[in-house]
Amino acid sequence: MLHLIKTITTKVYTIALMVFTIWYGFFLYPIIYGHGGADHDVDVVASADAEADAEITALLDEADMQEEQFASALKEQTSTATTNLGYMVVKEEYVQGHFHHVGMTVESDDTSLCIRCHGAIPHDKAKAIRAFLNMHAFYLACETCHIQPKTKGQSWAFRWYDKKSGNPISNPPGLTSHDKSMYGNYGAKIAPGRISSSGQLMFLNDAKERAFVEKYLQEKHRLGSTQQSKMKKVIHRRLDEKPLLCDHCHNDKTPYLPFDSLGYPKRRKQDLVGTEVAGMVAKYQEFYMPKFLLPGTGWNSDTANPAEGEAGEHEQ
Amino acid sequence: MQDKYPRINYRNGKRFFFRFSLMQRVQHIILFSCVITLALTGFPLRYYDKAWAEPLYTFMGGIEVAPWIHRGAGSVLLALFFFHTGYWIVLFYRNRIKPLIEQKRLTPGTFFKAFLAMEMMPNGKDGRDIVQMFKWLLYLSPRPPQYDRISWKEKFDYFAPYWGIPILGPAGVALWFRDEFSHILPGFLLNAFYIMHTDEALLAGLFLFFVHWYNVHYAPEKFPLGTVFITGYLSEADMIHEHYAEYVEAMTEGGLEHEIRPQGHH
Amino acid sequence: MGVLPNKMLHCAISRRAEAVAASLAVLLVIFMLGSLIWTSPVQAEDELNCVLCHKFRGLSRIDENGRFRLFYINENLFMKGPHKRIMCMDCHRDIKKIPHDPAKKVTCTVKCHLTEPSSKQKFSHAPVKKVLDSSVHSKYDKDGNLKDYPEDYPSCKNCHEQPLYRPLSFFKGESSGISRRGLSRCKTCHQTGDFAEDFYSHVTSRLQKTRESREIVEVCAKCHGDPAFQKRHNLDNVIESYKETFHGKAVTFGSDETADCLDCHVVYGESVHSIESHKEPTASTYKDNVAATCRNEECHYKAGEALAGYMVHTDYDNAEKYPMQYYMLKFFKGLMAAVLYFFVVVIFLELLRRLFPNFSFIKETPADAESVLHRSSTEKGA
Repeated sequence: MLHLIKTITTKVYTIALMVFTIWYGFFLYPIIYGHGGADHDVDVVASADAEADAEITALLDEADMQEEQFASALKEQTSTATTNLGYMVVKEEYVQGHFHHVGMTVESDDTSLCIRCHGAIPHDKAKAIRAFLNMHAFYLACETCHIQPKTKGQSWAFRWYDKKSGNPISNPPGLTSHDKSMYGNYGAKIAPGRISSSGQLMFLNDAKERAFVEKYLQEKHRLGSTQQSKMKKVIHRRLDEKPLLCDHCHNDKTPYLPFDSLGYPKRRKQDLVGTEVAGMVAKYQEFYMPKFLLPGTGWNSDTANPAEGEAGEHEQ
Repeated sequence: MQDKYPRINYRNGKRFFFRFSLMQRVQHIILFSCVITLALTGFPLRYYDKAWAEPLYTFMGGIEVAPWIHRGAGSVLLALFFFHTGYWIVLFYRNRIKPLIEQKRLTPGTFFKAFLAMEMMPNGKDGRDIVQMFKWLLYLSPRPPQYDRISWKEKFDYFAPYWGIPILGPAGVALWFRDEFSHILPGFLLNAFYIMHTDEALLAGLFLFFVHWYNVHYAPEKFPLGTVFITGYLSEADMIHEHYAEYVEAMTEGGLEHEIRPQGHH
Repeated sequence: MGVLPNKMLHCAISRRAEAVAASLAVLLVIFMLGSLIWTSPVQAEDELNCVLCHKFRGLSRIDENGRFRLFYINENLFMKGPHKRIMCMDCHRDIKKIPHDPAKKVTCTVKCHLTEPSSKQKFSHAPVKKVLDSSVHSKYDKDGNLKDYPEDYPSCKNCHEQPLYRPLSFFKGESSGISRRGLSRCKTCHQTGDFAEDFYSHVTSRLQKTRESREIVEVCAKCHGDPAFQKRHNLDNVIESYKETFHGKAVTFGSDETADCLDCHVVYGESVHSIESHKEPTASTYKDNVAATCRNEECHYKAGEALAGYMVHTDYDNAEKYPMQYYMLKFFKGLMAAVLYFFVVVIFLELLRRLFPNFSFIKETPADAESVLHRSSTEKGA
């Protein structure tokens, strides 16, 4: 019996070693015939993922312009830039043609169902304030501004969620930091939800909703264009025609968001609802872009010139 | 030597056969320590763009320290090379030339014959063994080759570094002392030395990792670790398997003809 | 910082004319502050509180060409470089009010509001541009004609990001960062504001490479490592061949003492912006000058002239240009393949043989075996 086990073990080991020998044969070939160590690596910046690099370089070889754009986007996405100052090393995301140091890499929101189609930098229509809107999209879930309670008097419960997992988390400690370069950069977003009867917070865009969108994207190719439109309507059913506006939150009387319970320290809340931000917002509304109150509803003039803004107002 | 290292040794009632003297084992330990150190401080440079290169190089001391470890280990290896050359010359003289002198038979012919008769020298039997090995491997013969004290594989293992070090070593020294070197010889030789150094090293590394370690460690009856490089003695089963001709001779010499076991797998 | 102008801005601009007037007033103040900047105790870099908005990492958009435009300013890092002493508007000159229109591209050669201490003139990067314009990197040739693919030739921002100080400490051996002891000596006399820190950082940063060698190679690789670029300008892949040299490998592993691109391609002691083609007789890489470049007093000063014969940018695939390397490599590859594949086959067969140890197509008589054994042992005895 023991002898049999020994024989079988030896044979199994022998076969495993044969497999290894064959693997070694294949392993040898590129080692012998690829000279030196370089993989023709011609990357702009040090990259974390050598395999992705090879893919990108291959893509770059394609002459096609669109392909090239795609490749450069991929390169930007997988690259990081490193600056060694000796006493500190700055590791940051690589942004093509960017002069100022970013000084960090940020995590993407992997859980937002809106971002699945619209991307993380979705605002483009309101030319003068789109960057501001995108800035807010960095720490506010889309539904925070785009879905308001339908019945009067009702209000959402707001909570931070983790960008990676999508789970509700306690208020980010970064909120109390005095490091201004980390403002808004908490790896988390504020999202609206309801408190269930058991006292649990249920985000509006919960796992069920996400699964629905996921399923739609998977099955889309099987639907006709009419059916696709129908599904889109369903997905967007709860969206408001007019999203939340700046002064809904940036006012010191009835701010839409409960800054206190979301963990904003007094001084930061003061900034947000006081002169610093709210004052700026008022100025925007008053002089700069009168139609700013209705972003995305026909306000897409390229200019942010006060004179033209005023003229626009007169026409209306 | 025969007294110090009996050809057949008994331990716990089992027979062990002499392979390597303490001197040889120590030389081997120095050799492989140097080679492993050189590989660990060398290959990260060759494969600088692989993910494992930088962590390994940092572990070996980084760009400030690792090159000096590399040069140190290389120097030791070169010294070992010269020492070993002296060593076999002394052995050759003591075991083969001195008797000839004493018998007054030393002529260029006998010297040359004695030279070729050294146990590490490739000979006709190695050729026949290789043929027999292929017959056996291709199921054209039921009998595996019956190797002598040193099989052709072991001779290959021996001559790999003996050819490798003279290629790698001087090239490494020239790259190390490139400034001094450039006063004597043209600069393009550095390019040649660079290729000699790195590619011969790669061959050695790939060979040792797979072929040599297969022969002594990975092979089914050895796995996970062959111990002859530590003990200097080989078990009876391994001896039958690897050096049957030597086994028969040693048993015969010891008056144990009747206990000679048949060759064959178990 | 900058709480005061906020309030001023908030109440001042109510009509366009007033807006312009206010902007001018603010600018005037900034001008005055700017010219006093070396001695000013005030941190004047953000008078308009630009970071009120620009401190948010998410401030960004996708522009009409599909480019990602990030408007975030990392204040911590901004304050770690020489540009901390100038204001946003010193470079972003078209911004005269807040909120502002889409900003125009920055011109680096304008005179800024710093005074260059040696000449007491307004500081400008124009002299750098002048050197660059006479180098191989100028988009004009010697006769002033536009070269082919002029858009491939670099401007400041292609090689430079916002500069950061790399201060050094020389107390008890050289190390990186500000030496508190060194600084305390400065502070004995120069107590006001950040003057001592800035001056210390500025000067000691200049005593070493402003950027790590590894980063320098990456900067050059932005263009010279791009296969399409190499093809357009008929250049070799010098980045790859450099990385294959010991210089390149040492630099890859973080050495700052080994030669990077600039050490060989800039005439020793000249501005790094003055790189010339190896065909120019004044270039550091001109065939008659290579030895001098290698043997400069910081590098291979002990070497002989012959060191220049070393081929740095070897293309191992190019048999015509580098026949020795090409054929040597071929030899070694062949040797390696022959040895290793021979043993791979032998070992594979040996393992296969072990699976059926007692099988054989051809049977051998015991007499055969006996004779072989006999032969081998008699031979040994001889």
